[in-house]
Amino acid sequence: MSTSFDFLPSVKHREATKFLPWVMAIMVYLSALAASGSLLLHSGFDDWASSLQGRVTVQVTGEDFEEIRSQAIEIQDMLRQTPGILSARVLEKEEIIELLEPWLGEGNVTEDLPVPVMIDMETAPDVYVNLEALEIKLKQITDTVYLDDHARWLVHFYNLTYTIEYTAIGILIMIILASICIIIFGTKSSMSEHKTTIEIMHLMGAHDQMIAKAYQKRFMLYGLVGGVYGLFLAFITLYGLSHLVQNLASGLVEIPTFPYVMMSTLLIFPIMFALLAMLTARITVMRELGRMT
Amino acid sequence: MVEFRNVSMGYDKEFDVLKDISFKLEPGSMHFLTGPSGAGKTSLLKLMYLAHRPTRGELIMFGQDVAKAQRDDLPKLRRRIGVVFQDFRLLDHLSAVENVALPLRIAGGKGPQINEHVEELLSWVGLDDRMMANPSSLSGGEKQRIAIARAVIRRPDILLADEPTGNVDPEMAERLLYLFVELNKLGTTIVIATHDSSLVEKIGAPRLHLEKGKLLHIEGTKRIVSEYEAPQ
Repeated sequence: MSTSFDFLPSVKHREATKFLPWVMAIMVYLSALAASGSLLLHSGFDDWASSLQGRVTVQVTGEDFEEIRSQAIEIQDMLRQTPGILSARVLEKEEIIELLEPWLGEGNVTEDLPVPVMIDMETAPDVYVNLEALEIKLKQITDTVYLDDHARWLVHFYNLTYTIEYTAIGILIMIILASICIIIFGTKSSMSEHKTTIEIMHLMGAHDQMIAKAYQKRFMLYGLVGGVYGLFLAFITLYGLSHLVQNLASGLVEIPTFPYVMMSTLLIFPIMFALLAMLTARITVMRELGRMT
Repeated sequence: MVEFRNVSMGYDKEFDVLKDISFKLEPGSMHFLTGPSGAGKTSLLKLMYLAHRPTRGELIMFGQDVAKAQRDDLPKLRRRIGVVFQDFRLLDHLSAVENVALPLRIAGGKGPQINEHVEELLSWVGLDDRMMANPSSLSGGEKQRIAIARAVIRRPDILLADEPTGNVDPEMAERLLYLFVELNKLGTTIVIATHDSSLVEKIGAPRLHLEKGKLLHIEGTKRIVSEYEAPQ
């Protein structure tokens, strides 16, 4: 087993790898953003989809609000007697206006605007309710009743979310590969810069492992220091973005709560990049030294 | 200790810098390596300090054929060799003390004992006031003394010196020679490559004379190494 000590010049000596911590900081920053994007979409969509699970919206449309409301109450009574339906409730006009206002603007839902009557219905989780058959049954009361179990549009949203999520994972993999290439390039540049030093170390009896250890230690430090700064910047960015999104989307859609516990997994990024830098540097040095006399 | 058996060596396939060299160095012997510039002195030393391998022939170092040695075997062999390079080859980012301590640290030495030992040796070569200086701020002679101190700090089995007194004044040259002779008395095999015929005369050790890459054996002078006395 070879001992280890840092015989390499400090970065103050115009070291080729002087900017590597900065590069690592940027790489960790981008990786953390890509990973958090993927995590946020995953957890946000799951929360949202599960909150919609078993919920069905029944709409009754028509020009005369009083008429469609009385039809809706009749439908509500029928639904309450249908097996497998846990609850059914006709929404008040104020509640419906409240739902429409974020889309149409406050005060824009006027009396003459034809507003549908909505029934919020919940089905039992362990019972299959044939919604198509139910809709046909409800149409006996009025032709203008529609059932929306969200599944139709949710599947498109699901596809979009998962496409974005996998794209983010793809970006993360590309960043890691780019980081490996940069570390290899940095290691080779540094070895070329310190060729004489390495030769002298060899001639005095240093093992390849001793030289590799000096490099892997230095590159690990670059990864760790850069990683900590990169992650810190990523957290600031995410915090800022989450506030921005919450302000913009307020009322339009339900924003999932920021998954702090899940996001804490990002803390592993500086360590991951430090290990990546260390291993890449070691393999590169050992391979390069193996080519020497 | 060291045996060359019909060794040839070239930096490219077309031209051999050393041709069919054969000689043997007994443990504890001292030799001068002489010859005009371009005769192959430095190349011969490079073979002995394992910076190059022979193109042909056998080079036996400490009982091991260097040409057949595995890469992992070389550090162990190199740690038994002390080298004073003609161009010193000091590490500019390290201080004098750190440069001299390098072989000890490579061998796994730690702690204040190393520095104590190194400082003692640097004082002996007259550099007690330049210990923390970096080589770039030192004169040629000072660098040479650091290079010598670094080569002898681990008391190697064999010491190879390429023009070790080329940059120092006569008085310091005497002191350094005395150091080599004392090491030799302690059992270190020594090979000194030099142009300086007065040095050879003074010590009286046998000469290995090279001409155009070929070795001519020359007898040693009447004086023997053990009679050499410390300079006053």
